[in-house]
Amino acid sequence: MHNLGFALDGAWRVLLAGLVLGAGLPILFTLGIRSLAWSAAGPAPRPAGRAIGYGLFAVVILGVLLGIAFIVASGFGKALSFEHVYPTIVAKH
Amino acid sequence: MTFILWLGVHPPGDHPFVTQTSVILALVVVTALAFDFTNGFHDTANAMATTIATRALSPKTAVALSGLLNLVGAFLSVQVALTVTNAVVKIQNSDGTPKEPLTTHGGEALLMIVLAGLVGGIIWNLATWLLGLPSSSSHALFGGLIGATVAGLGWAGVNWNGDGSKLDGVVGKVLLPAVMSPVIAGLVAAAGTWIIFRMTAGIALRYAERGFKWGQIGSASLVSLAHGTNDAQKTMGVITLALIASGHWTDTGSIPFWVKVACALAIALGTYLGGWRIIRTLGKGLVDIAPAQGMAAQSASAAVILASSHLGFALSTTHVATGSVLGSGVGRPAAEVRWRVAGRMVLAWLITLPAAGVVGALMWWIGDLVGGLAGALTVVALLIAAATGMWLRSRRIRVDHSNVNDDWGAVVPPVAGAPGRLPATAAAS
Repeated sequence: MHNLGFALDGAWRVLLAGLVLGAGLPILFTLGIRSLAWSAAGPAPRPAGRAIGYGLFAVVILGVLLGIAFIVASGFGKALSFEHVYPTIVAKH
Repeated sequence: MTFILWLGVHPPGDHPFVTQTSVILALVVVTALAFDFTNGFHDTANAMATTIATRALSPKTAVALSGLLNLVGAFLSVQVALTVTNAVVKIQNSDGTPKEPLTTHGGEALLMIVLAGLVGGIIWNLATWLLGLPSSSSHALFGGLIGATVAGLGWAGVNWNGDGSKLDGVVGKVLLPAVMSPVIAGLVAAAGTWIIFRMTAGIALRYAERGFKWGQIGSASLVSLAHGTNDAQKTMGVITLALIASGHWTDTGSIPFWVKVACALAIALGTYLGGWRIIRTLGKGLVDIAPAQGMAAQSASAAVILASSHLGFALSTTHVATGSVLGSGVGRPAAEVRWRVAGRMVLAWLITLPAAGVVGALMWWIGDLVGGLAGALTVVALLIAAATGMWLRSRRIRVDHSNVNDDWGAVVPPVAGAPGRLPATAAAS
C-alpha cells in the first residue's frame, strides 16, 4: 500500500495549506471588515481602524494574487517554488 | 445526422479523404466535446452554488462570470498533459503516444475504447444531473474509460495501483483522493466558519454583508479559473490522443490550436448553461448558507483545490466543494445540516466510477458486436437517445435560474401523474 502512504503524506500538507490560506485569509478579511466597522462606529471617526482594515485587505489580495499566479503558472507547465520564502516561478520537475 | 454521415462514407480505399476511421475519429472528437460540455454544466455548482444561494450575485450573472473564467482558464492551458488516461488505464505510453497494438487499422481499437469511455462518462454525468447530485466529472470520465478498457483489453489493461514509486493508479489517483478531499475541505471550512461567526457577532450588518459579498465573488472566481485550466485540459488530452492514434497529429509536446479553442468554448458554454439542479442541491439542499459561511466555504474550496494541485495530490473539485459546504454547516453555530441529502450524495460518489464503468463497458461491447463504423455510429446513436430521454425527463420538473433559490422542500410541486419525485433530492428535505 505505497499509495496510502503517499496519499496521507499529501493529505496533511493540503490540510495545513488549506487551513492557513483557506481559513486564515477569510479570517484576516473578516478582521479587516471588523476594523472598518469599528473605525466608523464611534462618535468621531477612527482613522487607525481604516488603516488596519485596508492593511488586512491588502494581505488577503496578495493571497488571491498568489492563487492566480499559481493557476497561470501551471497552465504554462510551470510551478511555484517557495524555496526563497517569497514565491518564484520555476520549471515543473 | 448519423444517417447523412452514413451516406457520405465510402468503403476504405474507395475515397482518399473520407475513410471509415476518419468518420470514427470525428465521432470521438464530437463526443469528447460533448463530455467537456457536460463537465462544464455539472461543475458550475462547485464555484457558484454558494454565491447564488447567498444572493451575492444573481444566478445569471454568476453563471456568466463562471463561464467566462472557465474560458480564460482553458486558454491558459498552454502545456497540456497528453498522458491524462495513464492514471487509470494502460492505452498510452509514458510519453503520451498510444500503445502500438492499438494503432493498427488507423487506431480503430483505441478510438473505440475512448469513444465508449466518453459515452459512459456523459451518460453518468447526465443521470446525476437529472437527480441533482453533484458527482465528479473526472470520476465519470475515468470510470467510463476503465470500463471500456476492461471490455476491450481485459482487466490487465487497468492501472490499479501504479508502480509504487508515486501516487498513481485507480487507487492513488481516484479512490484515496475521493475519500480524503471532502474531509480536508470540510475541516478547513468548518474551522473558518466557526471563527468568522464568532468574530462577526455584533458588527454592523451593512459592513458584513458587503464585505462577504466581495469575499465570495473573489473566491468563487478563483475556483472557476482553476476549473477551466484543469478540466478543459483533460478533454484536450483525450482528443489529441485520438488524433495521434489515427495518424492526424504527431507532436506529443503540443496540441492543435483548434482543439484548444473547441474545448475552451465547450466547457465555457456548458458552465454558462448552468446545471441548475446541482446548483440547487449544493447551495440550498445541504445547509442554508449565510454570506459569511458562503465566503468561508468558497475560500476553503479555492485554497484546498490550489494547494492540492500544487502538491501533486490533485483532488476532485466536486468533492472539495461539497465537503466545504458541509463543513461550513457544521462550523456555523445552530445550523441545520441535511444529512440525508449528504448521504445520497456520498452514495452517488461511491457508484460514479463503477456505474460509468458499466456503461462504458456495455458501449464497447455493443460497438464491437456491430463492428467498425456501424458500431461507432450505434454507440453514438445510443448516447443521443439516452441524452434526449433524460433531457425530456428533466422538463417535467424544471429547475432553472428562476427557481434555483426557492426554499428547499417548499418548491416544485410534482406534476400530476409523474411517477418520479424529481429532482429526487428536493423531496428529501
